[in-house]
Formats: sequence, C-alpha cells, structure tokens
Amino acid sequence: MKPIFARGISNQFRLTLAILLSVLLLLTNDKLEPARKSVSSLLSPLQFVANIPGAMLDWSAESFATRDMLAKQNQALLNQQLLMSERLQRFEHLRQENDRLRALLGSPVHMDAKKVVAEVMEVASDPYRHYVVLNHGERNGVFVGQPVVDAQGVVGQVVEVSALTSRVLLLSDPAHAIPVRVTRNDVRMIANGTGVLDELELRHVAKSTDIRVGDLLVSSGLGNRFPEGYPVARVMNVVKDDGQNYATVSAQPLAALDRIRYLLLLWPDVQEEAREAELDSAEMVTDSTPEASQ
Amino acid sequence: MSMHIPNGRWVVWLSFLVAMLFQIMPLPDLVEGFRPDWLLLVTIYWAMALPHRYNILTAWILGLLLDILLGAHLGIRSLAMALVIYVVVLHFQRLRNFPMWQQSLMVACIVSLYHLIVFWVQFVVDSATFDASLFWPAISSLFIWWWVFWILRRVRRLYKVR
Repeated sequence: MKPIFARGISNQFRLTLAILLSVLLLLTNDKLEPARKSVSSLLSPLQFVANIPGAMLDWSAESFATRDMLAKQNQALLNQQLLMSERLQRFEHLRQENDRLRALLGSPVHMDAKKVVAEVMEVASDPYRHYVVLNHGERNGVFVGQPVVDAQGVVGQVVEVSALTSRVLLLSDPAHAIPVRVTRNDVRMIANGTGVLDELELRHVAKSTDIRVGDLLVSSGLGNRFPEGYPVARVMNVVKDDGQNYATVSAQPLAALDRIRYLLLLWPDVQEEAREAELDSAEMVTDSTPEASQ
Repeated sequence: MSMHIPNGRWVVWLSFLVAMLFQIMPLPDLVEGFRPDWLLLVTIYWAMALPHRYNILTAWILGLLLDILLGAHLGIRSLAMALVIYVVVLHFQRLRNFPMWQQSLMVACIVSLYHLIVFWVQFVVDSATFDASLFWPAISSLFIWWWVFWILRRVRRLYKVR
C-alpha cells in the first residue's frame, strides 16, 4: 500500500517543494502571462459549462414570458428607440458640424470605433478582486488593455485573454485607475478604484481645484488606453479639510457594476471597418427604399 | 502486488473536475459568501482516503489550476492547498477514525486555515482588507462535508479506487 514511500519521497520534501514552487510563482506572476493564457484556454470549457445553469435560467425566463409581458416590453423598447433615434438625428448633425470645425482647426477628426457586444459569463472569480468574465476571447480579436463600456459608461478594461473568454478588471478594483476630466471645466484627474463597487476615489486633488458634487467625469483619453469622452462617474462627495494636504473626493461610477449583463468591447484604433459597415448599412437603407431617394 | 497498481485514477480526476466546476458555478448573491470550497473538500477526502497517491503535490497542482480559473495572482491557492493538505496527510489516520461530527469540525478548521492563508498571501502580494466573512465558507463546508464524504466513499467503493 506504500509504493511511493518505498521510493523515499517524504511529505516534508514534497511540502518544501510545493512551497518553493509557490513562492517562485508568486514572484514571477507577471512574467507568466503566456503560460497562464494557454492553461486558461484549456480550462475555458469548464467556464462555459459552469455558465449553463445561469444561461438556462435566463433562457427559461425568456421563453416562459407571457405574450402580454412581451408586448409590453416591445412597446417600451419601441418608445425608447424612437426617443433614441430622435437624439441620434440631432447628434448626427452635431457630429458633422464638429467634424467640419475640427477640419477647419486642423485637428484630427473623431472616428467611430469598432465595437462588439459581449455577454458576461456568470462564473465566480477571485473574491479579492473585481473581475467579470466575458464570452469573447482571442478568437474574437479581444486584446489585453481593451476598453470595455456599457450603456451608461466605462466599465473597465480587459486584463487577461484566453482563446474563448476574457477577464475584465472593473473600475472599482483597487488596482484600477482611469484618467478622467471634469466636463464642466476640463480639469484633469485620475479616478482610482477603492474595492467598493459603487465608489471611486480621486487622489491628489488640490484643495483649490474647482470641483463640485454632481460634476460629470468623462475619460480624458490621456494614457492612450480609454478613448476620450466616455462618461465614467459622477462626483458624490467633496471634503476640503484644512488638516489634509489634498481634498478628499469620491465619485460613483455611472455603469451599474453590480448588475452588468451585456457589455461593449471597443477597438479604438479600428475605424475603417466600422465606417465601412456604417456606409454599407446606409447604402442598404437607400437601396431598400428607392422611393425615398427618387 | 495487485495492491500496488493504481486503480480508478480517472474517477478521482473526474471528481476534481466536477469540484472545480462547482467552485466557479454562479450562486445567488445571498449565498455567494457561503460558497463551500468544493475543490478543497474533495482534495481533503482523497488525501485522507489515499494519502500515498493524492497528496501535497496533487493539491499544489489543483490550487494552481484554481488560481488560473479564478484569475488570481498565481501561487496563492496552490500554496494554501499544499500547506493544508500537508496537515491532512500528517493526520490522516486520526482524521479517518474520528466520529463524523468531529471529523467535519476538523474539516471546518482546515477550511478556515486555508482561507486565512489565502488572505494572508493576498495581503502580502496585492492588498486585501480583513473581513470576518472570510470564515463563512468554513460554516457551509462543515455541513457539506457530510455529503461530500458520503458520496465520495460510495464512488471509491463502487469503482474500487486505490
């Protein structure tokens, strides 16, 4: 019954080996990204299987919805779409105007970034960090450092990619920081995560800075990671204590980080494709409505 | 001689795989904090039942896989698992002969130790704030252990795992 003991490897030796290997891993963690990527690609089927119960719940909620509920939901969505497209018409006009002005000033014209909708997989992550797992990976062109937004604002960035899934670090993680500016007066600052889902912290804000409760913070585009102009958070609390070196400012992220379901992955540098797709769809619209063009 | 031939290795690894699946399965927010450490419980069982075959290095590998699966800093859970399973392997005779209630209490202690080690290493490498909810999984593991033990013993006897 003791074949391994006969070979003479003691438990103490095994433990020492395990501890040494662990310490080695702890120290070289950052250099092991490629290995981690391949192992997590191998393990990702496990994540897909673990996601099944949640997906089934969603599916059953959808398929057992009554006709009445669906009709109501449809109505609400139609209303919303009408309101949105009205805003979009104004926005389109403003964008053209903005592009012309920018062209006049000789500054680069804003382009639409490529975006893809991804779904959050319901799998557990490290309880000490704020992560979500997405069902898009390297196969879909996801890359490390990619900005992720939802309907309300910035959610975070991709920190780990495997073949079929990717892991997003949320704004609220203590290790996350995002450069922002105040829309009211363009003051720049950096919003750090605090480890609390609905709180960001603005560090090193001078007490003389003009910042008020209710100010909207948008991504400033500095740091070349997040594209400029996406809403990030709203200032909730400003304390200017004479005893402190800096003002204590906290903000609340606009994205509902505790109940995100669908997210948008952005490719800030991929513009042509988005433009072409847009043109294609525009052509398609004109093709399909010849009466309108005549 | 036949005693020396390992049997049913795939059953054991399958049980590890299922435990890993349970470990990352989504749970309602209400019970999320009480998520039992399935993988650790299953590893404790096999380390207790077959300490010469599944022990510290097995636990180390499983801990590493768990780290990767959870997206944690590599090495945290592998270290914690290896240390905890070392304790189990040292005392497997005693643990085996404990009455069930005492055994599950010991398992709860081991789970608490595991979480303390995870917290401690996390605190050293990144940063972490101590929260008493750290020990909630120990409470749920206390009750889950009965079932894990019972099911795995049946599996072990059914497939004659050695």
